[in-house]
Amino acid sequence: MLGGCATRPPTPAQRHGLPQPIREVLPNGMRLIIQEHGAATTVAVHLWAGVGGRDEAEGERGFSHFAEHMLFKGTENRGRGFVEAEVEGVGGRTNAGTSTDYTFYYLLLPAARALPGIALVADMVLNSVFDPAELGHEREVVFEEVRLNEDSPRSSLGRQLYSLLYQGHPYGRPVLGDAADLRGATQATLRGYYARHYVPDNMTLVVVGPVNPTEVRAAALKAFGSRPATGYSRRPVSPPPAFEGVRERSVERPERQKQLGLAWLAPPLGHPDMAVVDVLSHILGGSRSSRLNQALRERARLVSSISGWYGALQGAGALGVTAQLEGTDQAAVERAVIDEIRRLQADGVTADELARAITASEAEREFSRETVEGLAMAYGRAETTWTLEAELGYLDRVRAVTRAQVQEAARRYLTRSYARLTFVPRTQAR
Amino acid sequence: MSRSRLLVALLAAALLPWLAAPEASAQPRREQLPGGLVVLIRENTATPVVATSLFVRVGSRWETEDNAGITHLLQQVLLKGTAQRSALEIAETAEGLGGGVSASADMDFSEIRATALARNWKKMLALIAEVALRPTLPESEIDGERRAMLTALRSRQDQPFPLAMDTLMSRVYGDHPYGRPVLGRPAALERIDRTALLAHHRRFYRAPRMILAVSGDVAPRDVLAEVARLLADAPAGDGEPEPAVPAAAARADRTVLVKPAAQAQVLTAFLAPPTGHADYAAVKVLATTLGGGMAGRLFTEVRDKQGLAYSTGGAYPSRLGPGVLFTQLGTAPANQARAEAAVLGELDRIRREPVSPVELARAKAYLLGQFALDRRTNARLAWYDAFFEALDVGPDFAERYARAVEVVTVEDVQRVARTYLTTPTIVTLGPTAP
Repeated sequence: MLGGCATRPPTPAQRHGLPQPIREVLPNGMRLIIQEHGAATTVAVHLWAGVGGRDEAEGERGFSHFAEHMLFKGTENRGRGFVEAEVEGVGGRTNAGTSTDYTFYYLLLPAARALPGIALVADMVLNSVFDPAELGHEREVVFEEVRLNEDSPRSSLGRQLYSLLYQGHPYGRPVLGDAADLRGATQATLRGYYARHYVPDNMTLVVVGPVNPTEVRAAALKAFGSRPATGYSRRPVSPPPAFEGVRERSVERPERQKQLGLAWLAPPLGHPDMAVVDVLSHILGGSRSSRLNQALRERARLVSSISGWYGALQGAGALGVTAQLEGTDQAAVERAVIDEIRRLQADGVTADELARAITASEAEREFSRETVEGLAMAYGRAETTWTLEAELGYLDRVRAVTRAQVQEAARRYLTRSYARLTFVPRTQAR
Repeated sequence: MSRSRLLVALLAAALLPWLAAPEASAQPRREQLPGGLVVLIRENTATPVVATSLFVRVGSRWETEDNAGITHLLQQVLLKGTAQRSALEIAETAEGLGGGVSASADMDFSEIRATALARNWKKMLALIAEVALRPTLPESEIDGERRAMLTALRSRQDQPFPLAMDTLMSRVYGDHPYGRPVLGRPAALERIDRTALLAHHRRFYRAPRMILAVSGDVAPRDVLAEVARLLADAPAGDGEPEPAVPAAAARADRTVLVKPAAQAQVLTAFLAPPTGHADYAAVKVLATTLGGGMAGRLFTEVRDKQGLAYSTGGAYPSRLGPGVLFTQLGTAPANQARAEAAVLGELDRIRREPVSPVELARAKAYLLGQFALDRRTNARLAWYDAFFEALDVGPDFAERYARAVEVVTVEDVQRVARTYLTTPTIVTLGPTAP
């Protein structure tokens, strides 16, 4: 239900005060990650599946996300409304999200409900029925979600910027899918898609909380163990096509405020430059004191807000700048952004800027440990799209970044070839 | 055992340990400094971080049409320069501590908040005190922040949901200041100058109006001593007497907005009791039964069974003054009339028919569960501690509230539904008039 794309890469867990997470592979290929977290009173039960927008063939655009909705609509053992009794009825919370590389389901429950939570999520991912009447209702809900997103300029900007940058590549397609394909979806086709992708060898269960690992392992084996491995192997994603020059699109919108998005192709998850590009994006536009915020918002007052970010997916990454304009001159805003980039490429970053970026990463890690779901999210995403080990060692890589590397990455990635998306007010017919 | 009995039994077993969550259940240490400033400190050693919220008892409720937006503008400009630091230095200092600092106004209070790695707690508190007590309010920054607020106000007018919501609040509150956006009015913002901001700061940033909450891996005694030192020169005295505020009077009418939008919006609202009122807990349960979570009636009846929405729900935010219970729904323009009828049908049904014991139990568990889930990080704990103080409900409010929710009956829900869900104030927005 979240849709959309990954933003900054997740921060790893700190080992100080917490034992190392336990990772194991069940006999049927299902992966299990357990993190004991004694200070918490809640447990996060996450189920991550290696299926998303990029896995959809022609005719099934949007099936990953539609299937995600349908998993809340009843299983062979539970009717619609099970969420009411088993999650909200005990004071918990549940939701799900679909992206290009993954789909995940989360349950946040009182700690004592961890084992029933594992059984519940297993039932959803193994035994959902896709009742035809429910399917009809839920299709309309999905269309409402599309409309809701269209009405929000900021979420539209991010989504359409990805489409432009990754034109002609699966990452360029909207996760919410294609209306005709969604209309054509039947119980048989959607359930078939689900049966192909929701297999033990393509899923990870993550449990974080004050839990007993032996009990969690037993519950996971009981819930998932009877399903045999299928020998599933996910098709690797090819890199997006490179392009020369500025790829441009302008979209008319009902709002008066103009928006500008710029994006460059950047390294994917697992690339050796990942930590460096992460630091680069932070210094460029990741905080109040960042170059872009100071130059364009605080000094020139060209924008009411601006941010620089790095999103890393399995097959590609994006370095982006998105801005909400204060005036109407988007060429001036773009020039000012490019000027700041050229300055960074020519003179590099200061030692203070690098130190603040590293401190921000360290702090982000500590603050993410305040809740069980922060850790579950980081582990599940890493296991599904990257590796848990790389995730746990990521902060050390950020700490090792040098000023020279940041400058070099700015020169390598922030080139003259980029995507430019502008939102302009719709011209009124008179 | 029937399904409903089973659920009720299950709840009784599950709910109590849940509410005893150590993060949220212990009360903070509360001290009042000689000048009247209230300090709330919570020691939480789970993670090496610290968060603080400085609340001041001033918000849009203290504003008029002539200076609407002044509190939010002041909050923004406070971060733009002090006797010791420029705007950039303030931002760099906060980020160097492993956190950040930001500020905003609300209706009943305004807030400066900061987070940091716990080892930097002293520097974090010093920065907060400096920003609150010794701001320079530079002219150029006032202009810049004023323009940013005017842009934000214009942007709200252009987006379907914010526009519909702002319209709903103005219709349900009438002339009461809660009916105005916290961002204020463009005409008033254009007029506010540095002299006015200085006067606003002098009048409201006084010790008896300030509440400082701190939560994190810190020693309460050390924090208290440091706060007493840092905020010793906060001006004493209440300043001027509290202004009279126009009464809230719901228009109880239907407003139709025509704007380009992919989704049509249907919103309803009713005036409801303030947080300190005896009916508060029962109205919270009522709002949750209607619109809380995936098992609320709006979600199950209007979204799940009819597919008429993606987002829908209802809420009853906590206010010092008159409260509001509202519902929201976004749907395809072609379905707008049907969706509106469905929402009004649910509002009518909950007045006419008693809710079932299962629904009541679900609503209570969900309400208290979400409350507990929202009080886990240090930033949220500090915010809640300051918030309860600002609403004059006391540091033991969380426990008293949980007990009050527990004893709400089916009859209570129906009684408050009949009392408060009278004639709805309705706002619809769509690309064409329905």
